[in-house]
Amino acid sequence: MKKLIAMALASVMLLAGCGGGSSEGASAEDAVAKYGSDTLKLYNWGEYMGEDLISNFEKEFGVKVIVEYFDSNETMYTKLQAGDSYDVLVPSDYMIERLINEGMLQELDLSLIPNISNLAEGVKNLPYDPENTYSVPYFWGSVGIVYNHNNVDPAVVEEQGYSILHNTDYKGKIYVYDSERDSFMMAFKALGYSMNTDNQDEIQEAYQWLLDMNNTMEPVYVTDEVIDGMINGTKDIAVVYSGDATTILEENPDMSFWMPTEGTNLWSDAMVIPANAENPKLAHEFINYVLTYEASLGNSEYVGYASSNQEVLDELSGEGGLFADNEAYLPRAGYEKDEVFVDNQVLKKELAELWIKVKATK
Amino acid sequence: MRQFRSMVYPYVVWIAIMIVVPMLMILLYAFTGEGNDVTTFRFTLENFGRFFSDAVFLDVLKRSLIIAIFTTIICVLLGYPIAYAIATGPEKSKMFWILMITLPTWINMLVRTYAWVGILQDDGLLNSFLGLFGIGPFKMMYTTFAVVLGMVYNFIPFMILQIHTSLAKMDKSLLEAASDLGANRMQCFLRVTLPLSLPGVLSGITLVFLPAVSSFFIPKLLGGGQYVLIGNVIETQFLTSGDWNFGSAISLIMAVIIMISMYLTRKVDTDPAANGRGE
Repeated sequence: MKKLIAMALASVMLLAGCGGGSSEGASAEDAVAKYGSDTLKLYNWGEYMGEDLISNFEKEFGVKVIVEYFDSNETMYTKLQAGDSYDVLVPSDYMIERLINEGMLQELDLSLIPNISNLAEGVKNLPYDPENTYSVPYFWGSVGIVYNHNNVDPAVVEEQGYSILHNTDYKGKIYVYDSERDSFMMAFKALGYSMNTDNQDEIQEAYQWLLDMNNTMEPVYVTDEVIDGMINGTKDIAVVYSGDATTILEENPDMSFWMPTEGTNLWSDAMVIPANAENPKLAHEFINYVLTYEASLGNSEYVGYASSNQEVLDELSGEGGLFADNEAYLPRAGYEKDEVFVDNQVLKKELAELWIKVKATK
Repeated sequence: MRQFRSMVYPYVVWIAIMIVVPMLMILLYAFTGEGNDVTTFRFTLENFGRFFSDAVFLDVLKRSLIIAIFTTIICVLLGYPIAYAIATGPEKSKMFWILMITLPTWINMLVRTYAWVGILQDDGLLNSFLGLFGIGPFKMMYTTFAVVLGMVYNFIPFMILQIHTSLAKMDKSLLEAASDLGANRMQCFLRVTLPLSLPGVLSGITLVFLPAVSSFFIPKLLGGGQYVLIGNVIETQFLTSGDWNFGSAISLIMAVIIMISMYLTRKVDTDPAANGRGE
C-alpha cells in the first residue's frame, strides 16, 4: 500500500515538475541544443532512488525525466523486448549479461562519464562486464538472514546459517524470498554447492532441500512485503537483500543481520543504455550525475542500499556515519564463497519451474 | 437496415486484430516447442504432456477449481438476497443501491485488493478493531479465507447486477396471478420468481467463475507466494521463466475447461425441463 501511494505521489510530482519549468540551472533550450532532446526516459526499480535525485537532475540540466518502475528483471526484459524504448535502465548483473549477449545494449562512451573514477572497490571489474563497457554500477549488496535476536539466539543463526530454515523450532516464523534465484541460491549454498551449478544431481538435491523446508516449516513466500513484515516483527527469521535489511534494522532495533558463512549472492544493479535509446547523450549525463557524491549520498541514505560511490560508502559506514552501526549496510567484499549470478537461460527456466512446484506443494 | 450493414466491417476488423489473432498466437505457442523463429515451427504435444503428467500441476488445477467454485457459491448465496432486496425494494432507493454496488468497480481492482492487505494483516484495521474488545488477533492474511474473501469482494458486483437485471424485468402480474390461484409467498417465490431469475443467476455464475478461476494477483497478494493457483503458474511461465509455450498450453487447457463449463451452464439455461418454465 505504502509503495503504491509513494508511486502515485511520485508520478504526480513528476507531472508537476514537468509543468513548472526550471527557474535555475540550465533551460530546456540549452538542453535541446546540447543533447538533441530535453526528455530522458528512465526505467528503474520501485523505491530505488533518493527523493530529490530526479528533481535536482531536472533543475540542473533543464530537462524532463519520465520514470517508469519495474518489479523484476524479467518484467523489464519483457517490456524491452516488446520494443519499448528507454534511455537508461537499471537491471541486475545476470540480466545485464543477457542483454549484452543479445545485443540489446549500446557501448558506453566513458569519456562522457568522468565520475566513473568514483566507483567503489567492490563494484569494479565485475565479471558480467569487466571493463564497464556497457554498465555502470548503481547499488550493490548481498543476501543474508535478518532475525529477531529476542526470539532467536544469535549463536544458533551463526552456527546453522541457511540451515536454520530447516530448524523446526522456528516453524511458522519464517519469510522466504519469493524468487527462484534467491531460494535456490540459499539451497545450493546450504548444501555447499555453487549457486551457478547446472549439475542435475545438485539441482535435484537443492529442490529436495526446498521441498523439505516448504513441507515442514510453513514458510511465507514474499517479496517486498518482507520489509514491512520484519519491521512489524511479524516473523522471526527472513532471508533478505542487504539493502532491505538495512532499512529493517534502522526501523526495528530487535532485528539483527547475519551473512551466512556458507556464502551468498553478491549482486549489483547497474545503469545501462539500451540499443534503442532515443537520447543516449542525455543518458550518459544522467549516469555521470548519479555517480556524483551528492546524488549517490542522497540515493544511499534514502534507500539504504550500498552505494557504488566509494566516498559515500566510506562516509555512511564509517565512524559517525548514518549506517555506522548497521551491520547490513556494507556488503562483504572478497569472501571466496560469495558468487555473482551468471546468465543461464536453460538453468533459470528449470529452476523457475521447480520453484513454482515447491510453492504449489501442499 | 441493409444500408447500415457495411458499418459492421470496422468491428469485424477490430475483432480479428484484438481477439482472433491473439487466440491464434496462443494456439500456435501451445502446440509448438521452444526455439521457434518465424520460419521454423516444431509442432509438439509435449507442453500438454508436461502438464498432465505432473501431479503438482494437477493438484494446483484442482485447488483453483475448488476455490473458484467455492467463491461462486458464496457469491450466489450472498448476491441473490441482496439483488432480491434491491429489486423488490422501494423504487427511489434502487438507483442508490446499484450505484453503491458498482462504485467500487470504478477503482482499480489491484488497489482495492491492496486495501484488504491493510485491513486483514496481523496488526491491520480489523485486528486492531477486534483488539478493542479484547478479541484476537486472528491470523487472516495468507490464508484461504483471505483469498476467498478477496475474490468474493471483487467479483460479487457482477453476480448482484446480473440477478438484479433479470428480477427487475420480471412481470409483476405473474406474482399476482400466482397469489390469486392460491400460492403462498414461499410458493410464489419458488415457482415464479426463482425460475424467472435463473438466467441472471447463470450468467452471474459465468461472470464470477471465469475471473475467479484464472485470477493471479488476488492469491498472490492475499495468499502470499505459497498460495499458488493456476493463474500464478501461467504468470510465472510468461514473466519469470519465459516459457511462453508451456504458459500458452496451460492457458489453452483453462480455456477448454471454461468453455465446457459455459456449455453446461447454457444447457441448463435453455433446457425447459431443468428450469421448470415449461414453455
